[in-house]
Amino acid sequence: MNLDAFFAGIGFRTATPSFDAGDEFVIVVTGSDDDTPIARIGDSRLRIPDAPRDSVHTKVRVRVESFDDADHTGTATYLETVGDTAY
Amino acid sequence: MSSPDDVDDVQTELDEAEEARTAPTLEFYGGRAASAIPLGLFVVWAIVQSGLFGISDTTGLVIGMLVSLVVGMFFVKGDWKHYANAIFAGMTERVAATAIVAWLWAGMFAQLLQDGGFVNGLIWVANAVPVSEAVLPTLLPALTFVLAALLATGIGTGYGTTITFVTTFFPATVLLGANPVLMFGAILSGAVFGDNLAPVSDTTIVSAVTQDADIGGVVASRLKYAFVAAALALVGYLIAGQVMATYPTAGNDLPSGNAVGLVHLVSMGLVIWTAVNGRHIVEAISWGIIAAIVFNVGLGLAPANSIVQFVAPATAPFAEAFTALPILTIAGPNTPAAGVHGSLYTGAAGFFPLIVLTLLIVAAARIMIQGGGFEAVQDFLLSTVATKVRGAETTMVLGTAGVNAMITINTAAEIAIAPYVARIGEQFNINGYRRANILDANTSALGYIFPWAGGVLAGYSQMPALVEEYGVQSMLVNPVDVWPYVFHGWLLFFVFLAAAITGYGLEYATDREAEEVARV
Repeated sequence: MNLDAFFAGIGFRTATPSFDAGDEFVIVVTGSDDDTPIARIGDSRLRIPDAPRDSVHTKVRVRVESFDDADHTGTATYLETVGDTAY
Repeated sequence: MSSPDDVDDVQTELDEAEEARTAPTLEFYGGRAASAIPLGLFVVWAIVQSGLFGISDTTGLVIGMLVSLVVGMFFVKGDWKHYANAIFAGMTERVAATAIVAWLWAGMFAQLLQDGGFVNGLIWVANAVPVSEAVLPTLLPALTFVLAALLATGIGTGYGTTITFVTTFFPATVLLGANPVLMFGAILSGAVFGDNLAPVSDTTIVSAVTQDADIGGVVASRLKYAFVAAALALVGYLIAGQVMATYPTAGNDLPSGNAVGLVHLVSMGLVIWTAVNGRHIVEAISWGIIAAIVFNVGLGLAPANSIVQFVAPATAPFAEAFTALPILTIAGPNTPAAGVHGSLYTGAAGFFPLIVLTLLIVAAARIMIQGGGFEAVQDFLLSTVATKVRGAETTMVLGTAGVNAMITINTAAEIAIAPYVARIGEQFNINGYRRANILDANTSALGYIFPWAGGVLAGYSQMPALVEEYGVQSMLVNPVDVWPYVFHGWLLFFVFLAAAITGYGLEYATDREAEEVARV
């Protein structure tokens, strides 16, 4: 087991995380905004315009294209669908 | 660590829970909320019986649950057979059997330790340590919390730990003068710690599997919460030990200590070692039972007929021919009443009323799930409270705690609430480790606090026999008195409430990916 696992997450975390262009990760698509799939991460939002329209409540891998720290919103590119949500 | 078999077992339980949610729903007059009537009425009964009237009788709670189920039936629309079928389906759920097995095995094991002089061994240690008789009782609650936490973390069952400690450490420490209510609270706190942290604990496995996270990673990630709460709880027991009344006069009744009984530390160690090495808890405790029997008989701590004894009535047609057996006697003026006796019998039989109660409670929970009560709660929470991530996490903490306050068997409660924690958490891309931690901490904590909680009742059910054996009335702690003193349970709950509000320990799905569940 990685020792870092014991210390991961220690400290206080913002409700509005920010991201850098080029960041890649797997997230759950949580809803849509004017037919554009979005993922809510805390109280920040990423629009994923090219994600499949039926991708809500699925896990997708995305790459961040831009993020505005002022209003905690950004845009990401859909890379692939990796699975379903836990339920 | 947990074996893949454990995870498979949990998956079976989760499939059954999924079936409950998707099975034909029950419709109630008064809407989905009315499906909570059986459980709600039972909680009221439990509060009135044990809280207001001070009657701590598990069979009385069984009657309360039966009456509540009957009352609930009158609110069902349509054919009542669906309601009856839901009761049957609930009572045959695997999750109830898991708790029952832990109680039965731990009950037999703990009784063997008790009858084998383990209590006298502990008293011998207490007399040997260089601490004055006045100071020792003030330190015992804190010490007991630490030891119970270690045992529970090793064997992964808080219920088993509660039973073992209530029948061994509890009488020894009360005889030494410790405050009984505080001692019971300390034991329950240790059980909470182990249930929360142990990799082999059912609640740990359920929390990880339901939130798509690996068990090892989940355990590692919860230390930052568990140790904060445990450190505060330890300080709490040290302070309360000083402040609350001790009963040094109990020392007058103190049995003479005997170091030989400490051999059962080996029996306990064997259980822990076996469990930690990934063996099933039934196998682990069975080895402990075998070791305890060998020590009891081999070292003369307890005769063979104290393990199990058949006392045949004088009129029995064939018993006379077998009286050469050490475990058979014919009833007479110097024998116990005709029947079966002994440590194994007493240890298991003490849980029979609680087992029936457990089955009925899980059935009532099934009715609430099939009746849409849980879904109604989730809909309300998602639409009104959980609109921001801080609110969502607070909702997850309070929701898990609330369900565990209602459904007293903690694994059953956890399975019921797990999908909602996942659903609410995923709406904000909260990391699976964090969701698993919120789920398990509050499940572990609230399952050992309220007077009707399975963990509390498991410990309490052993106390009447202790009063009979040691003649000390204060060894009967009313479950309604102990709830403020389960410090680690309360602190774990408040640590997570604070964590939800402040963002302490919060991780998002973007921070790191949980490893596969099976990699443990």
